[in-house]
Amino acid sequence: MTARALINAPKTARKGDIIEIRAMIAHKMETGYRQGPNGQMIPRDIINRFVCTYGGAEIFSADLFPAVSANPFIAFSTVATESGTITFAWTGDDGQTQTATAEIAVN
Amino acid sequence: MRQPSRRTVLQGVAASGAVAALGAPPAIGQAQSRVVVIGGGFAGASCARALKQEDHNLAVTLVEPQTLYTACPFSNEVIAGLREIEAQQFTYDGVRRDGIEVVHQAATGVDHAARRVRLADGAEIEYARLVVAPGVDLRFDAIPGYSETAVEAMPHAWKAGGQTVLLRRQLAEMADGGTVVISSPPNPFRCPPGPYERASLIAHYLKLSKPKSKLIILDAKDQFSKQRLFQAAWQELYPGLIEWVSLSMGGRVTEVDPSTKTLITEFGNHEADVANVIPPQRAGAIAAMAGVADQTGWCPIDPVTFESKLQPGIHVIGDAAIGGAMPKSAFTANAQAKVCAAAVISLLRDRKPAEPKLINTCYSLVAPDYGISIAGVYRPKDGLLAEVEGAGGTSPLSAPASVRAAEAVYADSWFRTITGEVFA
Amino acid sequence: MRRELLLLAVLGVVAAMPVAAEAPAGATACAGCHAPAGRDLPVPTLSGRTPESIVADMQAFRSGSRPATVMDRIAKGFSDGETRAIANWLASKDHASAKP
Repeated sequence: MTARALINAPKTARKGDIIEIRAMIAHKMETGYRQGPNGQMIPRDIINRFVCTYGGAEIFSADLFPAVSANPFIAFSTVATESGTITFAWTGDDGQTQTATAEIAVN
Repeated sequence: MRQPSRRTVLQGVAASGAVAALGAPPAIGQAQSRVVVIGGGFAGASCARALKQEDHNLAVTLVEPQTLYTACPFSNEVIAGLREIEAQQFTYDGVRRDGIEVVHQAATGVDHAARRVRLADGAEIEYARLVVAPGVDLRFDAIPGYSETAVEAMPHAWKAGGQTVLLRRQLAEMADGGTVVISSPPNPFRCPPGPYERASLIAHYLKLSKPKSKLIILDAKDQFSKQRLFQAAWQELYPGLIEWVSLSMGGRVTEVDPSTKTLITEFGNHEADVANVIPPQRAGAIAAMAGVADQTGWCPIDPVTFESKLQPGIHVIGDAAIGGAMPKSAFTANAQAKVCAAAVISLLRDRKPAEPKLINTCYSLVAPDYGISIAGVYRPKDGLLAEVEGAGGTSPLSAPASVRAAEAVYADSWFRTITGEVFA
Repeated sequence: MRRELLLLAVLGVVAAMPVAAEAPAGATACAGCHAPAGRDLPVPTLSGRTPESIVADMQAFRSGSRPATVMDRIAKGFSDGETRAIANWLASKDHASAKP
């Protein structure tokens, strides 16, 4: 799985600030319930898991299901605690995981 | 011909009532048959004229607040300085000459039970059937920060007229090296290839006059009409000048700040020197007032008669209508108008409307001498207008310059023909 | 005498009403691009054409034997029967408009 992933997190924040984090991945999120032009069912192919870690600790995760639309967009808030790396990981039905990272400086 | 006796003639007159003396055809069989058409654009004006042509004795009223119509097709050429706005403008003199009553008032409501249209000045017009063709309204509520006043700083230019001229002036005043940003809306909207034709012709202007400038399209979609043709032509004619940011690349504009001409997406801000915000759209306001728009903001119609699926006796045509695969174009509006007129006449005569077939042809200019097109043939299927398989499609992806030039010539020919049919 | 005049007036109204043949499916869309005679535009008029020549052109567009920009794509949406009906209707309109 090599899809385009977009992330948005502040580059700098003050300790204790509430920051918003956004992530989107380009994915068709094929439900498995649709018929192709030949009348056969199109096999399911979705992102089923999203995990975000901050300084190595998981701060947000989600299981995704076929009702989630294409190009799933996830936004959530967290508290800026320390400078470090925010890691985003999307796992697909094919078992492959795509990751992206953002650095944040907290003072 | 057998000479009718006085008695048979008088019986004929009596049977058709006083109407015959007024000149209405006995076939209508109803006194005061009047069709009211709301909206004097490509759909409404075409429909009024087609009704009158099919039955000269039918009373037809066209309700349109503007006395001068400014056509959208080719208005992107005005923006790029290739054409003057006057070439887009048409009066209703020709429509009036057909014997159509043109009332320059806004329609403010419809009384279904009494079959009356209410006008802004309080007058009411009774109709046997009503055709609603209001085009689109821009949804100013859909993008936070955008509003009816923000259009001065960030023009939409999606209804031709003052906005078209304003966007042209802003481009002319922009310094070389500036950034033009176009925000393109989600489907459905008026003129699906329009934002990309606009980007092309602005790029043509920038290439010639301000070559250090660039143009960014922020898109709420991952695909668009004639996409491969446009993108191939951009690479060929304007390399490096146009950047298209799709939905999945974070192109959806979620907010704008008119004071700084900033367009905000989920993943970044774009500060523009010239910002063209084309907001999401819905059917013109009178559609909702008439009860023919559903929760999507558009008007579902019967594909044979264009009669509203929500209100019997009211037909909806053009951009406001939705019901299948036909794109919202001037050609579509004109084709639907003529089919709708024939159906309205059949229904007034208590005849079953014939199953129609419709065509759409839509040209876009990538440069003044570089035209591309999309065409389709449509027919009713399962309650919608469906594309006839095996027909239609776009211009070929690879074609000699002569073919592109020919399509640009045909585009201009089409505009002159259709505006002649609708307004001359 | 007055009675006869009335009778003539009534017949006159009836006779002046052309019995317009209903346009077959797809026919009215042609005028979106093809102008009436006398406009001298790059897209040719269909006015004055025989039904046979229109049908032949549409077949050639459909088969690809005649090069085209859009007519090949449009012609494929119409059967021979539909094309024939459209061509006949276009010719009948010529006939109607030629009358004073």
